[in-house]
Amino acid sequence: MKRASSWTGIRIIAAREIGAAVDSGIAFVFAIAFGLLANSIFMNEFFLAGTVDMGGYFRLLPLLLAFFLPAITMRTWAEERKTRTIETLLTLPIRPAQAVLGKFLAGLAVYALFLATSLPIPVMLVVLGDPEPGTILGGYLALGLFGALFLAFGNFLSALSKDQITAFVTATLFGFALVLLGNEDVVGILDGLVPGVFLGTFLYENVSVMPHYDAISRGALELPALAYFACSSALFLWTSSLALERIRD
Amino acid sequence: MIHVQDVVKRYGTTLAVDRVSFRIETGEVVGFLGPNGAGKSTLLKMISTWLPLGAGHIEVAGHDVVREPLLARASLGYLPEHNALYDGMRVDRYLAFVGKLRGLRSELAERIAWVVDRCSLQDVVGKRIQACSKGYRQRIGLAAALLHDPPIVLLDEPTHGLDPLQVEAFLEFVRELAEGKAILFSSHILSEIVAVSDRVLVIDHGRLLLDAPLSELRERAEASGGTIERAVLDLVRAHQVVAAPKDQPA
Repeated sequence: MKRASSWTGIRIIAAREIGAAVDSGIAFVFAIAFGLLANSIFMNEFFLAGTVDMGGYFRLLPLLLAFFLPAITMRTWAEERKTRTIETLLTLPIRPAQAVLGKFLAGLAVYALFLATSLPIPVMLVVLGDPEPGTILGGYLALGLFGALFLAFGNFLSALSKDQITAFVTATLFGFALVLLGNEDVVGILDGLVPGVFLGTFLYENVSVMPHYDAISRGALELPALAYFACSSALFLWTSSLALERIRD
Repeated sequence: MIHVQDVVKRYGTTLAVDRVSFRIETGEVVGFLGPNGAGKSTLLKMISTWLPLGAGHIEVAGHDVVREPLLARASLGYLPEHNALYDGMRVDRYLAFVGKLRGLRSELAERIAWVVDRCSLQDVVGKRIQACSKGYRQRIGLAAALLHDPPIVLLDEPTHGLDPLQVEAFLEFVRELAEGKAILFSSHILSEIVAVSDRVLVIDHGRLLLDAPLSELRERAEASGGTIERAVLDLVRAHQVVAAPKDQPA
């Protein structure tokens, strides 16, 4: 008997997920909301600072994305579990990993739509002045890697839950934690909790997404930062696949 | 085609399936009868590879469901009890989605046309699944299960939600399908099992109480002057008397 090849299976599932997001209009609603908020943040910075630069914009976006990216992933598996379509899907001749990767790629496509709403900004900067192209490209690369990581752990947390709201809340809290652990004030407070242990510094250096995000968004393609995003995203995709095997019982 | 050997399944402390064994060969339609909660769906879910086995061994078309789940799934057409479908999709797109994941390519359009015709989906093929009645949803699920012309078909309470005329047509369709396939048809309605099956498996409290050809049951019924239904019930009662308590460890 036939079955789809690994890549074909991933592609078919990704196409279905993108179609479902587009059909329901959810992708557009969130993309427009995100675009309005993110572009407002940029315009505020732009007029206050008066510089032809997207640095401030890229620094503020992680907090906004920590809220918006779980909105993409919350339905991913929680909805399949609630409606029991997961049984229909995973008794087809595909591996759970194919389904996970298909949904992850679909999430990336929707996220690309989010980021596309910001494209008028670099265009405007090029028209108005002479922005540094390396930092703009680095900023978008950092946003891409940041999004991939958040979509991967959003997938995982959705696979653990039958309820979309639970998946959304847990992914948002986890995402905010990863971002806020990179905040100087938070690091200072945590360092002060247990004198001599430097908990905040430890978490900043080893757990937080921000030092790696900041490095890449400055245009520095540092290996540790790239490895952080690649390994942590792969880890969460792998654990999503394991979670799908476990929830069958 | 389907080989189930000493299969056990527990949910916590509840023994859902207790050392069940049977074989189903090509060309057989086997009725799987039992009250709600007897363990029918659990066993079908294990054959479909959805649920892991507690113990024992299941082979589907020669493929071990634990070691070769993808090959086992590729040989199966499975209509689950709840028949969950992607409500937002159009019927034709849903069938194409399932067909592509089953590896159908050049023959996909032909196979979709065949199942649409055989499952009488012409009136809804361009509609969203959420707009379809319960009867149509069952037929969409069946169409998806038959799309790749599988040698083994698992039908879990397939007539649920169908009106009497639809049930009659459905049972006739299952009989027509039987040639060249092994079909396991689960139901808690004895008359449906009698109408469609060559052989009857009766399960209750996770234990297989009866595995008998319908012809044997007919002979018993004729000898006693009763009905097949009565013969099945008498045999099940006789087995229940000698059956061990279900909470014994497997």
